[in-house]
Amino acid sequence: MIQFLLLLLGLAAIGTAIYVVGRLIYDIVAMFRDRASSDEGDTAVLWRDVKAIGIVAQLVALFAIIGAGTYLWGNFRARTDAIGLKLTFDFLDQPAGITIADNPLIAGDSVSSAIVAGFFNTIRVIMVGIPAALLLGTLVGIARFSSNWIVRKLATGYVEFFRNIPPLVVIVFVWSAVFLNGFPTAQEAWKPLGEWFILSNNRFAIPSIMGQDNFGAFRWILLGALLLAGAVGYWRTKVFDNTGAPHRRVLWAFATFLGIGLIAYLVLGGPVSMSKPMLDDRGRVFSDGFRIQMPFAALTVALVIYTGTHIAEIVRGSIMAVHKGQEEAANALALSTFQRYRFVVLPQAMRVAFPPLISQFLNFSKNSSLAIAIGATETTNIINNLFGQSQPAPQLILILALLYLALSLLLSTIGNLINRKLQIVGR
Amino acid sequence: MNKSSKMLRILAMLLSFVLVVSACGSDGDEGSADSGSEDGGSDDSGTDDGGSDDVELTQGGTLAAVTSAGTLQCGGNDTLPGFGIVDADGAFGGFDVDYCSVIAAAVLGDAGAFEITPLVAAQRFPTLQSGEIDVLIRNTTWTASRDGAEQANFLHTTFYDGQGFMVQADSGIASLEDVADASICVLTGTTTLLNLNAVLGDLGIAFTPVEFESNDELNPAFQAGQCEVWTSDASQLAAFAANMEIDTAILPEIISKEPLGPVVADGDTEWAQVVNWAVMATVQAWEYGIDSSNVDSFLTSEDSSILRFLGEPITDGDGNTAVAEVGLGLDPKFAYNIISQVGNYEEIFEKNLGPIGLTLAGSPNDLWTNGGLQYVPPFR
Repeated sequence: MIQFLLLLLGLAAIGTAIYVVGRLIYDIVAMFRDRASSDEGDTAVLWRDVKAIGIVAQLVALFAIIGAGTYLWGNFRARTDAIGLKLTFDFLDQPAGITIADNPLIAGDSVSSAIVAGFFNTIRVIMVGIPAALLLGTLVGIARFSSNWIVRKLATGYVEFFRNIPPLVVIVFVWSAVFLNGFPTAQEAWKPLGEWFILSNNRFAIPSIMGQDNFGAFRWILLGALLLAGAVGYWRTKVFDNTGAPHRRVLWAFATFLGIGLIAYLVLGGPVSMSKPMLDDRGRVFSDGFRIQMPFAALTVALVIYTGTHIAEIVRGSIMAVHKGQEEAANALALSTFQRYRFVVLPQAMRVAFPPLISQFLNFSKNSSLAIAIGATETTNIINNLFGQSQPAPQLILILALLYLALSLLLSTIGNLINRKLQIVGR
Repeated sequence: MNKSSKMLRILAMLLSFVLVVSACGSDGDEGSADSGSEDGGSDDSGTDDGGSDDVELTQGGTLAAVTSAGTLQCGGNDTLPGFGIVDADGAFGGFDVDYCSVIAAAVLGDAGAFEITPLVAAQRFPTLQSGEIDVLIRNTTWTASRDGAEQANFLHTTFYDGQGFMVQADSGIASLEDVADASICVLTGTTTLLNLNAVLGDLGIAFTPVEFESNDELNPAFQAGQCEVWTSDASQLAAFAANMEIDTAILPEIISKEPLGPVVADGDTEWAQVVNWAVMATVQAWEYGIDSSNVDSFLTSEDSSILRFLGEPITDGDGNTAVAEVGLGLDPKFAYNIISQVGNYEEIFEKNLGPIGLTLAGSPNDLWTNGGLQYVPPFR
């Protein structure tokens, strides 16, 4: 994966260079052809020809960039040559010697597999955190318009407090004050609700579902049920569009899914069961249930709190951007507050909110690198660790940058696709 | 309207020409500086005002660069009691910091002419490689791969350490076998982490690593019980335990050799030798029994070896006197400067590591004549 990314970067750089140079040459050739083919009187002198000036400006910019790049690269190479640092990527196959908590990585595994393992931890945080931050931010953004004085002021206070603190401070604060010292040690873990939850400053464990016999078949049936539920929802929408009868598509789809799932569950003789988290007597080995290490919980919560404030402000701004007449019209139709937001305000506000939201998602993913301070082993932590384990820093920094670049590009691509969908539906 | 836009275009063209010319100009400067220093390092030692950066970037020349800058750039620790920590007044102090002082005294004649760049463990080598610091003295373990792959040059070991394990006193853990399945706090980017994975992996002891970047977060995590075990160099564990409210215990097992000492970047032998001999002078002074309080009385010593060591003139059979020049590029009186301004090894050790409960006598850090490992080549 790492090698693939590097290859991709190399190809992209070469491709861009070829494109830029090719484009420039084409422009120059086209300009001279135009000048040669047009009449004597029509052509301006060369230094007054807009096209010529444009090409010269491009050449100048190109040489300035190449010059600056060469200078910096020369500086860098002078130092690496002086100390004998090799700029190869052979180290990716060397044993890394590091391990990650709750990860099958062993000390003998290669550097690249260690980096990939760290990267997946970053992705986990993002997959949980971004939806949570979106939910929190939207609720708080709406709460700032609440007619209830306390709710409104609480929302304002939360936004103004956390928005104005650097994310690192929020992370260390949440980690230290809430998670590290707010929860007991694993040896004295809280086990509320009949020991179905285990809360400690080492790990958190909550119940999960666990596959029994026939679990494979059950999973496929559930997937089929999900598709069928989608189809039912689509059919109800059609019915609504054609006849005007209430569609109740969510209810219909949900009932379809649940009905099939229930029948399959009974027929297959209980293919899944609840998995109760366990902790051994010494308070060390967590098993079963869904387990998360405390630093990751702290990181996710802190980033959700921090990013939530920014999302809340975006949501607030977008709601204010919806014309007042819309809200008045909704009130005139006697829609409830929920209906007003669900059907009138939010669909229009989201169209405004989404582009800035994408950059908040990117901020979330990049801020996850601050986890290094609280000992969560994600990408940045692993890369930093490798510097100290005799692996070359320049190459590792390049890989680190590439991983976050790839992640950000992926997130913004997904975001832009959703955004396009929103825009088309709206018009 | 039309005229003004044309004027703007011409202005833009002029501006871009200026840019190109200036870019070419700086290119030329860089090229000439490069070729100049490649011809030979001799002209580097001359006075250069703004060009010290260029000198640093090319082969050798660190000694000249430090001399002309007047300040030694030292990579250090700011979170480890006894070795390198910031006190209440914001000043750096500790065993490693004193060795920065030793080098400054030797090279610049002023024990205070150094600046500490505090570094976390993982950032040590990238910073050293970049040339941002002249020397790294930050409880750094000498290993083969660091000497090789990290382009580091390890010098005389100032502290012989080993990796130990610390637990809270009431944890019920008495030996390494008892830590099975426990969470173990460790710093990222350290040999400690590699040893932990390797040794416990070989023993088949499962554990959960909790990897922190800095002791500032690791320490509270250990005290709050997030991890039951803290592994680090035994001296560091002792240093932190001395400042803790809770009772702790150190496990009997020491799982590694951790020779800690100053490090410089590869590719500058002259500078490496200077740092090495400056550091070793503190041990030699200890061996001679010279310390900061009595150093002046040795200036008139009968022992020619001591006179030579302190850079005093030596009289030959004909009554001629001459100062021995060892050719390191240092002031002949560098050892005198070190001892009078900072002290000998024993003084530095007792001043910094005595208060945190480390004893010198009988430890591996004792002088070779007392059965320890501190042994330095002769100063002649």
